[in-house]
Amino acid sequence: MRARKVAHMPSNFILEVGLPHYLVLSSLLFVTGMAGVLLRRNAIVMMMSIELMLNAVNLSFVAFSRYLGLLEGQVMVFFVMTIAAAEAAVGLALVVAIFKRFKEVNIRFFEHLKG
Amino acid sequence: MNHQLLMSILILSPFVGFLINGFRYKKHSANLAGTIATAAAAISFLSAILLFIDLLGMPAESRKISVSFFDWITVADFKVKAGFLVDQISAVMILIVTGVGSLIHLFSVGYMHHDKGVAKYFAYLNLFLFNMLLLVLGDNLLVMFVGWEGVGLCSYLLIGFWFTDKEKAAAGMKAFITNRIGDAAFLLGMFVLFLTFGTLTFSEINALIPQSPETSWLGAITIGTLFLFIGATGKSAQIPLYVWLPDAMAGPTPVSALIHAATMVTAGVYMIIRLNPLFLMAPNTLMVIAIIGALTAVMAASIGLTQWDIKKVLAYSTVSQLGYMFLACGVGAFGAALFHLMTHAFFKALMFLGSGSVIHAMHEEQDIRKMGGLKKYLPITHFTFFLGWVAIIGMPPFAGFFSKDEILWMSFHSPLGHVGLWALGAIGATMTAFYMTRLMALTFWGKSRVPKDVHPHESPAVMTIPLIVLGILSVIGGWIGIPHVIGSILPGHPENIWEHWLSPVIKAVPNLGHAEASQEWLLMGVSVTLAAASAALAYHFYVQDPEKPKRFAAAMGKFYEVVYNKYFVDEGYFAWIINPLVRTSKNIWFYVDVNFIDKATYVLSDIVRGGGQFVRVLQNGNIQQYALYIAIGIVTTLAFVLMR
Amino acid sequence: MSPDVFLFWFLAILTVISGLMVVLMTNPVFSALSLAMTMVLIGALFVTLNATFLAGVQLIVYAGAVMVLFVMVLMLFDLKNEIYAFTRGKISGAFKVGSVGILAGLVIGSIGLTASTLLQSSTAPLVSMSGDTTKDLGKILFSQYLLGFEALGALLLIVAVGAVALARSKGGTHAK
Repeated sequence: MRARKVAHMPSNFILEVGLPHYLVLSSLLFVTGMAGVLLRRNAIVMMMSIELMLNAVNLSFVAFSRYLGLLEGQVMVFFVMTIAAAEAAVGLALVVAIFKRFKEVNIRFFEHLKG
Repeated sequence: MNHQLLMSILILSPFVGFLINGFRYKKHSANLAGTIATAAAAISFLSAILLFIDLLGMPAESRKISVSFFDWITVADFKVKAGFLVDQISAVMILIVTGVGSLIHLFSVGYMHHDKGVAKYFAYLNLFLFNMLLLVLGDNLLVMFVGWEGVGLCSYLLIGFWFTDKEKAAAGMKAFITNRIGDAAFLLGMFVLFLTFGTLTFSEINALIPQSPETSWLGAITIGTLFLFIGATGKSAQIPLYVWLPDAMAGPTPVSALIHAATMVTAGVYMIIRLNPLFLMAPNTLMVIAIIGALTAVMAASIGLTQWDIKKVLAYSTVSQLGYMFLACGVGAFGAALFHLMTHAFFKALMFLGSGSVIHAMHEEQDIRKMGGLKKYLPITHFTFFLGWVAIIGMPPFAGFFSKDEILWMSFHSPLGHVGLWALGAIGATMTAFYMTRLMALTFWGKSRVPKDVHPHESPAVMTIPLIVLGILSVIGGWIGIPHVIGSILPGHPENIWEHWLSPVIKAVPNLGHAEASQEWLLMGVSVTLAAASAALAYHFYVQDPEKPKRFAAAMGKFYEVVYNKYFVDEGYFAWIINPLVRTSKNIWFYVDVNFIDKATYVLSDIVRGGGQFVRVLQNGNIQQYALYIAIGIVTTLAFVLMR
Repeated sequence: MSPDVFLFWFLAILTVISGLMVVLMTNPVFSALSLAMTMVLIGALFVTLNATFLAGVQLIVYAGAVMVLFVMVLMLFDLKNEIYAFTRGKISGAFKVGSVGILAGLVIGSIGLTASTLLQSSTAPLVSMSGDTTKDLGKILFSQYLLGFEALGALLLIVAVGAVALARSKGGTHAK
C-alpha cells in the first residue's frame, strides 16, 4: 500500500522515509567521493575521498540490512571497515614515502611507481 | 638355425659395421676400418648362404622364408609390418648384394688405403649394404621404399665422397636430385597401388591382380606401374633420367663397382621383377618399358663408343646393360632380366674393379689415351679384365652370352616382343662389342702411351683376389641358365636350372608360342657373329691401325661431335627444363615473395605498431587517468545494463 | 512530520554538505575535519537504521583511529592551502566530471524507477529487525563468519608490518 502511495504522491516522498532515501543518499556520497578521487591532486585528499566512498557503500549495506531483515549486511560493513583501516595505513605509508622523496604529496609523483 | 635370428644378422651386421666405423670416422687406419667393414659384409654373406641353403631344403612350391619383426605403421585399415621375405628372387639378390659386396669391400681395403677418410668411407659402404638389404628383402613396397631412399642417400654420400672437389660434390647432387624425380614417381605409384588394392604387401598385391590384362592406357594398374617404372628409370638410369650415372663416376671406383654397376642401379629392375604378375597385367606399361630399355641400350652404347675416360665408358656400358634388363622385363622375360642382372653384376663389378686397379696403377689417371700396353705391367688385372670383356660382348660360353642371348631371343620370340626390339638389341650388342674391345685395346694392348713419369705396377693381393673370384664367376656364372636348345646338344643334357628355380615366383609370358629350334640357333648365330665381327673391327681399328679411328671420326663429322657430346642431353635439360625452372622460381621469388608476401607482412606489422603507439598514450602512469578509465568503464557497463 | 523523518532529513542534508566539503576544501586539514564530521553523521544514520553496534564501531574506528591517522600525517607534512588543488587537464577534467555526473544520474534514476519495487520487498521484515541487533550480529560474526574474521586479523597484522616497512626513516622497501 505504502509503495503505491510513494510512487503516485510526491508529497509523501518527504514524509515517508524508506530504503530509496538511504540509497539515494548513499549514491550521492559515493559520487562525491568519486569526484574527489578523480579531481584532487593531493594524494591524502584522494585517500580521504576513497574513505568517503567506502562509507557511502557502508551506508547502503546497513540500509539494505535494515529493510531486508538480513544481518549479513552488517557483517559486511564490519569487514569493509577493517579493510578500509588497513588500506588507509598502507596508503598513508606510501604517501609518507613519496613525501620524503619529493617533499610534496602530489599524485603525479606516483607515476614513478610505473617502473 | 632360427630364421628370425639369421635374418637379423643378415640385415643388422652391416648396420653394426656402419655404427662402429661411423663412430670412429676420424680414424685413418685403413686396415682396421676395412677389416671391420669387410667382416660385417662377410658375416652378412654367410647368413645369406645359410638362408639360401634353408630355402633349398624346402619343397619348390613353398620356398619362402617370411619374417616379420614388428608392426611398423598401423593406421586404421592401413597396416605395414617391418616384414622381410626371402624367396627365389630375393635369395638371388641377397647373394649378389652381400657376395659381390664383400668382394668389393675387400678390394676397397687396398684401393682406399691412402685415403684420409677411410673409416667414413667404409661406414658409408656398410650403410649402403644395410639399405640395399632392406630394399631387397622388404616384403612390402614401403619397406622397399625405405631401402630405396637409403641407397640413394648412400649413393649421394659416396659419389660426393671427395666433396672438397666442387665437381664431384656437384655430381653427387645431380645424382640425388635426379633420383628425387624418380622417387616422387615411385611414391605416386605406391599411392595408386594402395588405392587400387588397399595394401602394399607384395604377396597380397600379387594375389589380388585381375585375371585379364588391362588394355586401357588410363587403367589404375597401367598408371600405377608406369609411375613405378618412372621411379625405376631414376634409380636404374634409363632414358630420360640416366644422366646422373655417368657423372656418378666421380666417386671412388669400388663405389662405382658396387653401387653404380652391380647392385643399386639394378634396384629398379628388381622392383619390376618383384611385381612381375602385376606388370604382366599392364601390357601397355610393358611396351613402354621395352621400348625405353631398347633405346637406352642403343643410345648409351653409342655414347660409350666415343668416350675417353675409362670409367665413363664403363658407366655408359652399365646404362646400356641396364637397358637390356628393362628390355627383358618389357617383353615379359623377367627371369632373363634377373639372370642378366646377376651375370652383369659379376662382370661389370669385375670390370670396374679392374679399371680401379688400372687407375690405381696409373696414379689416378683415367684417360685411356694415356694408357695402352698395360698388359705386361698388370698381368692379373689384364687377364681378369679379359674374362669380363668376353663375358660382356657375349662370347659363348661366358656368362654374358647366356643372359644376353636369352634376352634377345625373348624380345624376338615373346608375344610381347617385336622384331624391331630384337634389332635394337642386336645393334646394341654389336656396339657393346666394339666399345669394349676399344677399351681393352686402348688400355691393355697396343703401344704404350703411358707418360714417362708414371710407372704402372700390379695391385696388391687384397685387390687382385676379388678380381680373380669375380673373373671365375664371370666365366661360370652363366652356366646355370643354359637354354634348352644348347642344353639338348651338350653332353649330359644340363637343364636350365635358372628357369626351374624361378618358375614358382615368376609368371610365364602368356601365349608363348612354340619355339623353332632352328630359328633360335639362327638368331644366336647372327648376334654372336655380329659381336665377333664388331670386336674384330675394333681390334683392327685400335691395335693394328691406330690412325684409322681419327680419320673415321673426321669422316663422320658433325654426327661424331653429337655422339661425343652425349647427344647434348645434359645441355638440353639445362636449356629446356632446369634454366627455365630456375628463372621462373626467381621471378616467383621476386614478385610473389619479396614484393607481395613480404610487403603484406610489413603492412601488418606497421598496423600493429601503429596501434601500439596509439594505445601507449593511454598507459601514461597517471593514476587518476586510470581511475577515469575505470569510471568510464563503470558508467558504460551500468548504462548498458540499464538500457537493455 | 514525525521525529524519525525529521532526523533523517536533517542528517542527510548535513552529510551531503560535509561530504562535498571534503572534496571542495582546498586546505587538506579542513578536508580531514569535514571527513570526520561526515563519519560521525553516518554513524548517526546507522543509529536511525537500528545498527547501534556498527554506529559505535564507526565512531571508534573511523572517526577515531583512521581520522587520527590522516590528521597526524597531515600535521607531519605541515601542509598549507593548496594553489592547485584540482587537476588541470581540461579535456580529462570534462571527462571526469561528465562520467561522475552520468553515474550519479544513472544510479539515482534507477533507484527512483525501481523505488516502488524496493519498498514493496522491504516492508515485510521491518518488525523483526526493530529491536537491538548487536547480540545477533555477535553470534553470526563468531560462528558463520569466523574464518573471515580471523583472516582480517591476520591482514591487519601484515598491514601493520608492511606500513612500518614502507614508512621507515631510511625510506622505502629498498633500504640503502
